[in-house]
Amino acid sequence: MAKKVVSMVKLQIPAGKATPAPPVGPALGPTGINIMNFCKEFNEKTASQAGLIIPVELTVYQDRSFTFVLKTPPAAVLLKKAAGIEKGSGEPNKNKVAKVTKKDIKEIAELKMADLNANSLEAAMRMIEGTARSMGITVE
Amino acid sequence: MNWVEIKIKTSTEAIEAISNIFYEAGVMGIVIEDPKDYLRPQDEKQWDYVEIPEGIDFEEAIVTGYLVEDSSIAERVREIKGRVKQLPEYGLSIGKGEMVLSTISDDDWANAWKKYYKPTHIGKSLVIKPSWETYRPEAGEIVIDLDPGMAFGTGTHETTRLCMELLEKYMKKGFTVIDIGCGSGILSIVAGKLGASDVLAIDKDDVAIKVARENVERNDLSQIIKVLKGDSLRNISFKADIIVANIIADVIIDLSGDIPMNLKEGGIFLASGIIKDRKLSVVEALEKYGFDLVEESEKGEWVALVSKQAPIRN
Repeated sequence: MAKKVVSMVKLQIPAGKATPAPPVGPALGPTGINIMNFCKEFNEKTASQAGLIIPVELTVYQDRSFTFVLKTPPAAVLLKKAAGIEKGSGEPNKNKVAKVTKKDIKEIAELKMADLNANSLEAAMRMIEGTARSMGITVE
Repeated sequence: MNWVEIKIKTSTEAIEAISNIFYEAGVMGIVIEDPKDYLRPQDEKQWDYVEIPEGIDFEEAIVTGYLVEDSSIAERVREIKGRVKQLPEYGLSIGKGEMVLSTISDDDWANAWKKYYKPTHIGKSLVIKPSWETYRPEAGEIVIDLDPGMAFGTGTHETTRLCMELLEKYMKKGFTVIDIGCGSGILSIVAGKLGASDVLAIDKDDVAIKVARENVERNDLSQIIKVLKGDSLRNISFKADIIVANIIADVIIDLSGDIPMNLKEGGIFLASGIIKDRKLSVVEALEKYGFDLVEESEKGEWVALVSKQAPIRN
């Protein structure tokens, strides 16, 4: 059917655990879409990834119908995996907790390229590298 | 329970890092608004038409997180603020880096959307009734009971209304109908309620197929309406008195070559979802495949075209 897009909303929510509570309710309430329906579909599609934060992008149409696609994991999650840590540093300027290589940064940038709205791979790498440093991860 | 909403106005570059700062502060999820999403090239296979919101600032992205308001809130907010301010040290531009706080109370978000759907009168006698509302019809009214779910076709959109009005005008008892891009099934159900003997509803989207089947069932029309997955009329031998396609201009142009094969003699093709600017290209395509325009109808920026196969001249 004639689908005219009125808004695009990006959320990050725990897999299998979407509820109408924040951030879902306040973010989607104004769009007028059926929030319970979104939660149900999202939870069904992500049930197998429990414990992970899943970025999801919703497209809302003029008549308040919608679709959504699941996106690549947040950069921080991929960085922690590459660095082999559970949590970033609380004081990233003083306390460095792990190391990753330029190659790791490049791989993560390539994987996330489509979702970062970066103009070039270099720009994407700069975002990932900055994110790494802000977590107390040194890039070598 | 109250929540503190923390909106950080920043740049696209800092989105990932700020998201992480939020997670480390204990949020359960975040919202990202990046106006650059609107500039992304669209997938041509999608049947979408994107309008860029007016006055949007492409350089300002917003990341929003929510924390439960409790005794530690001030400290957690300070922590977030401090860490965002540090980001430029790690080579990330934070744009404005402004933080806006507001308190929101628990609301009935689960049901808030329902206020947008009320029984709606369309055309002379049609009424779309959301399945959770009660409605007592007046004499002669035809009620369509609908739960749109995620699928398109809630009856609130101009293109759907145009089709409903035209169906009301052209449908006769015993007609056979094909509905391509059926979405929630609304138009097939309208055809069924207006006396169609057989309706074939087609959509390429699994969600639409599921929702359409539920709605057909809800309106007791399972004997008349068949819902199939597909995106074209090829391999379909069913012939119809009316073919309705409420999609978008480009898809209708692609389909128009296949329509004559599935239309009975004297049958009607009702094409909708056409944005005004694209009307001429659709009319051209229809003429190319031997259609004569019978009627056109407009609402807002949308047009619906009614056409018939031109008689074959000797």
